[in-house]
Amino acid sequence: MESNAHRNIDPNPELSDQQPEKSLSPFQLAMRRFLRNKLAIVGIFILIFFVLIAIFADVIATHSPTASNMYKVEAKADSENWLGTDSSGRDNFSRLVHGSRISLTIGFFAMLFTVVIGVTLGSLAGYYGGKVDGFIMRITDLMLILPFLLLVLTIIAILEKINITIFITIIAFTSWPTLTRLIRATFLSLKEKEYILGARSIGASDFRIIFKHFLPNAVGPIIVNATLMMATMIIIESALSFIGFGIPQPTPTWGNMITEGNSLRMLQNNWEAWLPPGLAILLTVLAINFIGDGLRDAFDPKSNQ
Amino acid sequence: MKSSKLWLVLVLALSFMLVLAACGDNNEEAGGNNDNNNEENNDNNNDSDSTERGTITAAMYSAPGHQFNPLFYSDAYEANILDFTHEALAKLDENLDWEPSLAESWDINDDFTEITFTLNEGVTWHDGEPFTADDVVFTYNVLMDEDYVAAGGVRTNYVADLETVEAIDPLTVKFTYTDTNINAIFDAAFIIVPEHIFGDVPILEMPDYSASRNAGEVIGTGPFQLTNMLEGERYELTAYDDYWQGAPGLAGITWRVIEQSIMPGLLENGEIDMIAEPNGVPAADFDTVDALEHITTYVTQDFGYQYMGFKLHHRTTEDVEAGVIDPDNWIENEKIADVRVRQAIVYAINRQALVDGLLHGMGTVLNANFPEASWAFDESAVNPYDYSPETAEELLDEAGYVDVTGDGFREDPDGNEWTLNFDYPTGNAVRERSAPIIVENLEEVGIRVDLRNPREAGPHFDLVEEDDHDWDMYLAGWSLSAADPDPSALWLSTAPYNYTRWNDPVSDELIRAGIQAPEAFDQDYRKQAYSDWAAHMSEQVPQVFLYSSDNIYAYNSAIQNVKHYPAGIYSDAHLWTLEQ
Amino acid sequence: MHGHGRALVLSLRRNVEMHKYITRRILQFIPMLFLVTVLVFALAKAAPGDPLTGERLDPNIDPEVYEIRREALGLNDPLPVQYWNWLSSVATGDFGKSLQYTGRTVMELIQARIWNTFYLSLFALGVTLAIAIPIGIYSANRKYSLFDYGATTFAFLGLATPNFFAGLLAIYVFSLTLGWFPAQGTTTAMSLTGFELFIDKLRHLVLPGFTLGLASTAAYMRYMRTEILEVKGSDFIRTARAKGLSNESVLYKHTLRNALIPIITLLGLEFGTLLSGAIITERVFNYPGLGTLFLNAIQNRDYPVIMAINLILAVTILIGNLLADIFYAIVDPRIRYD
Repeated sequence: MESNAHRNIDPNPELSDQQPEKSLSPFQLAMRRFLRNKLAIVGIFILIFFVLIAIFADVIATHSPTASNMYKVEAKADSENWLGTDSSGRDNFSRLVHGSRISLTIGFFAMLFTVVIGVTLGSLAGYYGGKVDGFIMRITDLMLILPFLLLVLTIIAILEKINITIFITIIAFTSWPTLTRLIRATFLSLKEKEYILGARSIGASDFRIIFKHFLPNAVGPIIVNATLMMATMIIIESALSFIGFGIPQPTPTWGNMITEGNSLRMLQNNWEAWLPPGLAILLTVLAINFIGDGLRDAFDPKSNQ
Repeated sequence: MKSSKLWLVLVLALSFMLVLAACGDNNEEAGGNNDNNNEENNDNNNDSDSTERGTITAAMYSAPGHQFNPLFYSDAYEANILDFTHEALAKLDENLDWEPSLAESWDINDDFTEITFTLNEGVTWHDGEPFTADDVVFTYNVLMDEDYVAAGGVRTNYVADLETVEAIDPLTVKFTYTDTNINAIFDAAFIIVPEHIFGDVPILEMPDYSASRNAGEVIGTGPFQLTNMLEGERYELTAYDDYWQGAPGLAGITWRVIEQSIMPGLLENGEIDMIAEPNGVPAADFDTVDALEHITTYVTQDFGYQYMGFKLHHRTTEDVEAGVIDPDNWIENEKIADVRVRQAIVYAINRQALVDGLLHGMGTVLNANFPEASWAFDESAVNPYDYSPETAEELLDEAGYVDVTGDGFREDPDGNEWTLNFDYPTGNAVRERSAPIIVENLEEVGIRVDLRNPREAGPHFDLVEEDDHDWDMYLAGWSLSAADPDPSALWLSTAPYNYTRWNDPVSDELIRAGIQAPEAFDQDYRKQAYSDWAAHMSEQVPQVFLYSSDNIYAYNSAIQNVKHYPAGIYSDAHLWTLEQ
Repeated sequence: MHGHGRALVLSLRRNVEMHKYITRRILQFIPMLFLVTVLVFALAKAAPGDPLTGERLDPNIDPEVYEIRREALGLNDPLPVQYWNWLSSVATGDFGKSLQYTGRTVMELIQARIWNTFYLSLFALGVTLAIAIPIGIYSANRKYSLFDYGATTFAFLGLATPNFFAGLLAIYVFSLTLGWFPAQGTTTAMSLTGFELFIDKLRHLVLPGFTLGLASTAAYMRYMRTEILEVKGSDFIRTARAKGLSNESVLYKHTLRNALIPIITLLGLEFGTLLSGAIITERVFNYPGLGTLFLNAIQNRDYPVIMAINLILAVTILIGNLLADIFYAIVDPRIRYD
């Protein structure tokens, strides 16, 4: 298992070995390449669009996303409810708008926590090696052995209930191992590099070496992974909602909105209930994937030669 | 790779898929226009003698647990099989009265301590062995055995007061009770299992025994026999031609397990012919299904109901740990101790709106512990508590719960913050949806509610039982007995199922009066006692009755002689035939 | 990098090293296995409640029976005792009895479903490979062609569509509207035999199989394309090309082989992903497999079933990883044995 670490990563020689044109850092170079990628730019625009919706949800929404009207349940779209109402008589349009907030928050924070855990453990393992490495890697292996969804479901069962914070924590807690391995591998490949040895010989602190010399070189893979992870998180939220383990009503999320469409009646008659959140997920995830892919190409240009 | 090779692969793959798609056209999809198509197809697979009789396909949403021994079965899906393969001495008729089944008649002695059944002649088990009084004695002796519960059985309530069961002769069996038993017929109406199959099997091994589990080996007296099954998918019942009431009119019934969301589509295109227990047609799909020309629907009130309970008292931690239910040790929940507050809460909740919205109108607002079909139901005894936020506000004002801080929420009479904690479980979609709506209703009249995140059903109901915590209100449901309305098990203050921990001597007294011999042998007397009790409960509001949903059955109109009983449509299934 | 000539001496040394490596990997497997059993047990037992808790709808049942039953099932024993009892019976291949399904052994429940899930995963994997590899290769060779853009679009859409959403759409379109494929279960009639049965089962696999395979097809298409591009750009291919090898043979001999290696190791991990992805797909298609069994067991706190499925899948993945590592060590000469 640990050998996986040695093979996945192909650290970019041009980032660590040669210092290119003095004026531009590798990061700036990557950004320049990134901005030339049309799909990635499209992705950025789509994402900004959804983020703006999330920020201004209160202004855009026409109703409260949680107020129900028992006398207008599963209604079709009309001038009052632009996308009809759900099975509890709540306004679908307002839920869609507010849902962007929840879904993006979940995606973003789950990703952020995962990155924090993954980078911390990966750095510790890669930098210190030996017992620390052994211990962290054993846990990583263990986590990877249990299939992700099985592990998540089991943990949700243990915690009995679920809200946004718990949800984000569970997802982060179960998805860090891949990133940890990645960071560790990057560190291992850099360990023997001269400037690292140099920094060590002049007595720089571990902390400083990790932050000044190792992490900047791992930024590419981290960012690429983090973006793709955010997309995955949004899909996971909707999938868990579907099997009844997601964020409970009345909190609006795109995931629990689509779940409303889980019957033929809704599929056939009330497309406005499930199609917009479905498309919202699809577009957001697509946008994030475009960005991630653009970043990958930008940081690892040789795959694009 | 050359592009030509790639295209070759793609073309091959595509044609393979098309062949697969074409293969199915002739042997499965019956098409929406001919209802009997798939029956005819299935007939070819059955015995030659069944050519003129049809087979129907019924559907359920979840797979049975494969325990086909009536002593040990536990889910409604298994019951879907057993209802056709096994029988009891008596069964409920369309008025919820007892009518003969395996027994042709019975006789109860004057002090209601003995009931003697005369069994029908000529009843045989599926393997041809005759059914006798010994089978009845055997079944009840297993229920009374000390190993029965350890082996996994839960139906000890049938033998709670039973002293002995004796076979007087092969066709006569006598039950003797320790005390007067006004429910003797109900208690004697447990499904009978064959002694010649299970007689030598130790009770602890009975649930594992092949005759409890395997298709073809499950033996009952019913009109159909479980002959074939494919785990989690299909369960095939075949007519038992030597059935004592005559050979069944259908060659067989095939149960399929399907996903609820596509049920209406399958019903429409004729792939399935019947949807019944346990959940029937979802309320939201009723209009679609009812509009299908070849489908007959039957709607009846479910005997179960949903409620919002008040935790009127909490037990102490010591009592919870020791498993003691002693009202003397209970601690009163001051937040909802004032009856006016509880009444206000009922008025504040728009229960009819819950039924209209969440159940698409397919349900009934309930005000007492009895279903409408029961003889104990008395609409005039109870306050209907029609939705009236104004009345709710008046009651709260009167009780001294007013908003002194001006934040829109009422404080308690001492001016302290007043928040009601509200817990609910997942698992029942409609119930889950009702919780936030109830909270909205209560907030409209100024009651601050802390709606906690829902728990899974297991932990939620654990906490409902172990009530040494800060709960004030919770959601739950009960199934009401169709056979007898006695509420002792739920509502006596010392009953473990008295989850609201309602400690009310008047209620206890009225409940006991309802089953007191000898007066209780007179149904009118009992009816009055239960009306009095329902009236008292309606005034005291230990819980808010929310609604009982409708059971919606749907079946292909080609199936003849289906009986619409309040307890279901499976009665006399041997008379079902398929119109050709 | 890797010359074709001076290999003999090196390869002898490599052989010894490789055997050592493989032995060590196998030895690591054992403590891992033990840890997995502890983890699986702890996770299952940490969940509150047991199958005997839950909504009691029928007030006629005496609540005392649940306590007696709990005692009889050993649910009141101390945890270490329960763990030991479980472990020692698991060691003999006995996963105990289901708590939810009276009288059924866990093994029996699993046996009735594991093949369905296996076929489903296999079908999905087959779909993935059959579509992803050729399209990935073709895309890489015709970079920025219309085909490449089409494939890329499909890949992105496949990755962005939630599994269950795709499943619902597939049922709606291909089963209910077009009537091409059945939407539920694994067979039409139990009386089918031989070739008919095979075709029937295959037809039932089509919709869930494609749904389950959708995301991984998309992912592998991307992997394949990237890998080919990467290998094509690497030194040794350039060397081979410089040596005058024709385009076609370069591609077949070197590029493909080298690009496939990481794909194969990914497959070792993929099987586990498929199995857990099957939970959702099986649910949509009401396909009786391990996924639906697991979901049901979680909801009913049927520990023996939860533990058995977790353990079986964990061990499958563990062995899959081990085999992938060993395979990788044999195939890829560049691996380091540390």
